[in-house]
Amino acid sequence: MVYFNERDLCYNSIYPHNNSWTMSRIELDACAECDLLLTPARPAVGDKARCPRCGYLLQRPRKQSVARTFALSLTGLILILPANLLPLVGIKVLGNTRDGTLWSGVLTLYREDMWAIAILVFLSSILVPLINIVLSVLVSGHLYFRRPNRYLPYWMRWLQHLEEWAMLEVYMLGIIVACVKLASMADLRFGFGLYAFIALLIVNALLASCLDPYLFWRRIEQLQHNHRHEN
Amino acid sequence: MKTEMNALAQGFVRCHDCGCLTKIPAANRPRHCRLCGSPLHARQANSLQRTLALLISAFLLYIPANLYPIMTVTQLTAGEPHTIIGGIIELIKGDMLPIAILVLVASILVPLLKLLGIALLLLCVHYRWQVDAHKWTVMYRIIAFVGRWSMLDIFMISILVSLVDLGGIARVIAGPAATAFAAVVVLTMFAAKSFDPRLIWDNQR
Ligand SMILES: [Zn+2]
Ligand SMILES: [Zn+2]
Repeated sequence: MVYFNERDLCYNSIYPHNNSWTMSRIELDACAECDLLLTPARPAVGDKARCPRCGYLLQRPRKQSVARTFALSLTGLILILPANLLPLVGIKVLGNTRDGTLWSGVLTLYREDMWAIAILVFLSSILVPLINIVLSVLVSGHLYFRRPNRYLPYWMRWLQHLEEWAMLEVYMLGIIVACVKLASMADLRFGFGLYAFIALLIVNALLASCLDPYLFWRRIEQLQHNHRHEN
Repeated sequence: MKTEMNALAQGFVRCHDCGCLTKIPAANRPRHCRLCGSPLHARQANSLQRTLALLISAFLLYIPANLYPIMTVTQLTAGEPHTIIGGIIELIKGDMLPIAILVLVASILVPLLKLLGIALLLLCVHYRWQVDAHKWTVMYRIIAFVGRWSMLDIFMISILVSLVDLGGIARVIAGPAATAFAAVVVLTMFAAKSFDPRLIWDNQR
């Protein structure tokens, strides 16, 4: 079988990144999903710029995007601790009580030799959400205080790649389904961890709507560029 | 007629991570984005081959994921293994229809439609079908968005095993299908990520 030959189009690299700024910035954009060449739009705050051909969301500038992202991610960082450590739900059956935290599910699965699932649940409900929050604190903090840092683009890249692997909202749905299943056989108690968890969910949703990758990349570009010219 | 407006046809490569455009580098030039340092590809490297490999693995694992029990509920002494479908039937019997539909969508329909959808996308690009590329891009977007919600069943099991562990009275143990199902979800997520929707547009005349 002959596949569509992509080798001509790909630029596999053997060269290390050398940060050369010799090439001037090209004042054009391309759509990420249909590759249409575009002149950059300047949508008003609160508006959205979409690709005219495929409808891909190109830009969605928000009011005080950087400051809000910084504030929200700091809030998230504080909430992550109680959401992880305090019990989410507890059950009471025939005098026996048990509390479940984010960690207890992972540990029980691990003890039952379901280590693959234990790792997956650990990554998607504990580690990746934590890394994402830390990364958005770092990125938005540096942008907010206008501190250039050579790792800034790397943090932003990781933030974008890890985004879909943080699955707190799916976990919340899992909690709801589990509670419905248990409701008939046991008394349920909701712990403080659950409230922290829901607050964290809301913060995450607001973060996602505040953080416009297009704007952030342009800010990073400016910052790194100015820094280079000062030195 | 459509591809002439593409950045690639005009001699530009878009960085997949930060979105800035670069002139197609000459053979001996560094091929990293000057802003973010990620390797430059006009299209994702070996997109079709990678997606196909992930898709086949996911499809094969989808079979044990549905045949084996995903969890075993032990009450007093009687153990009762549940498959994914068994769990849904249980919910319907317990008069919890909305939740049953939710689980049905998340753990059966979504993975199945994802497998079929990605297969269609691959066929479309490989055989250079002349299609309404906009509609197919929307389909790709839905597939990419919806994938993570299938983790619902896995998270539910993780909560149940830690809560329902009451010694001899009741216990929930995760079954072998859980691992297979989790692998299906992860593999289809990677498959959606490695597929490059720009390939659909490249083939339109
Ligand atoms: Zn487009
Ligand atoms: Zn880049």
